[in-house]
Amino acid sequence: MSDLTTALVFWPAGVLMLVTALYVFITSSMARAGLLLLAALALEGLLFLALASEFLGVLMLLMMSAEMVIMVFFMVMFMPDPGGLMGMDMVHDKRRSAGAAVVVGLLLAVVAVLTDWPAQVLPPDAPDVRAIGFEVMGRSMFSFLFAGMAILFTMVGGIMVAKQGGRYGVQAPAGEVR
Amino acid sequence: MSDLTPVAILALAAVGAVAVACLETLVAGLRPAPIGATRQALAGLREPISHPRTYDSWLFHLAPGLLLVAALSALAMVPWAPGFRGIELETGAILFPAALAYVTPAVFMAGWGGGSPLAVIGGFRFIALMLGYAMPIAMVATAVAAPVGSLRPAAIVDLQGTTVPMALAQPYSLALWVPAVMAVALLPPFDVATARGELGGGAFERYTGLEAALIALARRVLLLAVAGMTAALFLSGWHGPWLPDWLWMAVKTAAVATLMLYAGRRMPRLEIERLLTLAWKVAVPGAIAAIVLAGGTTLLFYV
Repeated sequence: MSDLTTALVFWPAGVLMLVTALYVFITSSMARAGLLLLAALALEGLLFLALASEFLGVLMLLMMSAEMVIMVFFMVMFMPDPGGLMGMDMVHDKRRSAGAAVVVGLLLAVVAVLTDWPAQVLPPDAPDVRAIGFEVMGRSMFSFLFAGMAILFTMVGGIMVAKQGGRYGVQAPAGEVR
Repeated sequence: MSDLTPVAILALAAVGAVAVACLETLVAGLRPAPIGATRQALAGLREPISHPRTYDSWLFHLAPGLLLVAALSALAMVPWAPGFRGIELETGAILFPAALAYVTPAVFMAGWGGGSPLAVIGGFRFIALMLGYAMPIAMVATAVAAPVGSLRPAAIVDLQGTTVPMALAQPYSLALWVPAVMAVALLPPFDVATARGELGGGAFERYTGLEAALIALARRVLLLAVAGMTAALFLSGWHGPWLPDWLWMAVKTAAVATLMLYAGRRMPRLEIERLLTLAWKVAVPGAIAAIVLAGGTTLLFYV
């Protein structure tokens, strides 16, 4: 891609990404929040593609669609806030979280600006690329698998806790008439 | 990717959608009338679009466009002939599932934005079924790429030209792939999200006029894309004796599309509970097993 195409994709997609990400926290509809988050992450995938990071961009587009749609499902199931009647808020502990977000964002921006990023592109068979491949598929694989299983068990456990009694409902305790 | 590629993809989508519509009438046992059907479809455009009175009606109006974009992107990944490729990326075989992955939010947005109970149920059904089709599609795309050592669809086609078609090398992958792509293309017997007799159109219940036409177009482009990709990944694409490359690809795609449509007409729609059981207990573990088997096959026969 030429520099002009990159710029034409990068800046509008970047701005739109920030706007959609902001609206995730403004809306009180779970379906809207999930779909806006999907839009923000898909736009981030576009940013990767525009910066010629093809595999990351494609993976972002693929994984985020699936994950965010599942999240919409779960959020609508467990956090119904019809028309803002329950006074639910997407943001907790506002002052401290805003402070943390600003500090972390500034730190990351400083790191991004001050780091001396390497300019050359490595060929696919460079020793560094091979080393990363062996690291990811070898020693680090155990921690990835562990993290994946932990997330899965958390999801299943969360549903089981939230929906105790299983699909046929909770049996009334002894002595209680329903 | 040349400057003419977008034009070529759009032209292919337009011609292909009419061809798929003719196939549908043929499979239904009727005589196809492309000109009359096109005229009827154009007349339908004059009907006003419907405006559901819900707070998320913007999702309702966004969904047909997203569905069409997803279908066209999927169509652009298919290697139709040695030189003709829409979007050619090194990761094309993964980008195809990525494009199809946006069908799910589109159907959900249509159902949720439409707001009627049956439409919302249709949208939620499609999400519930998602792991059942998204996992096999992505895993099988990786499994057929394993012997090739490349995620470029054209490279996968070319390897089948020199060895055997993937349908013979990995029949288990094909068995997982076909139901999964049929489900994502909203074809019966897996069309639980739009079930006409059961949910009265489901997620697409309330669309009229231009938006209904866009959805009808997108569904046909989607069928064309998945049939073309099946022909490319499993039936060695454009390779074959005597006939020119593009004609082989067209014949194989048409055959796959006909079989998919015919299967839908011959089989009753699966009940959602039963379909989910199949998806979670057969398709998802099967997809993971397919990767392992493909890895074994690759090490034994291809390396």
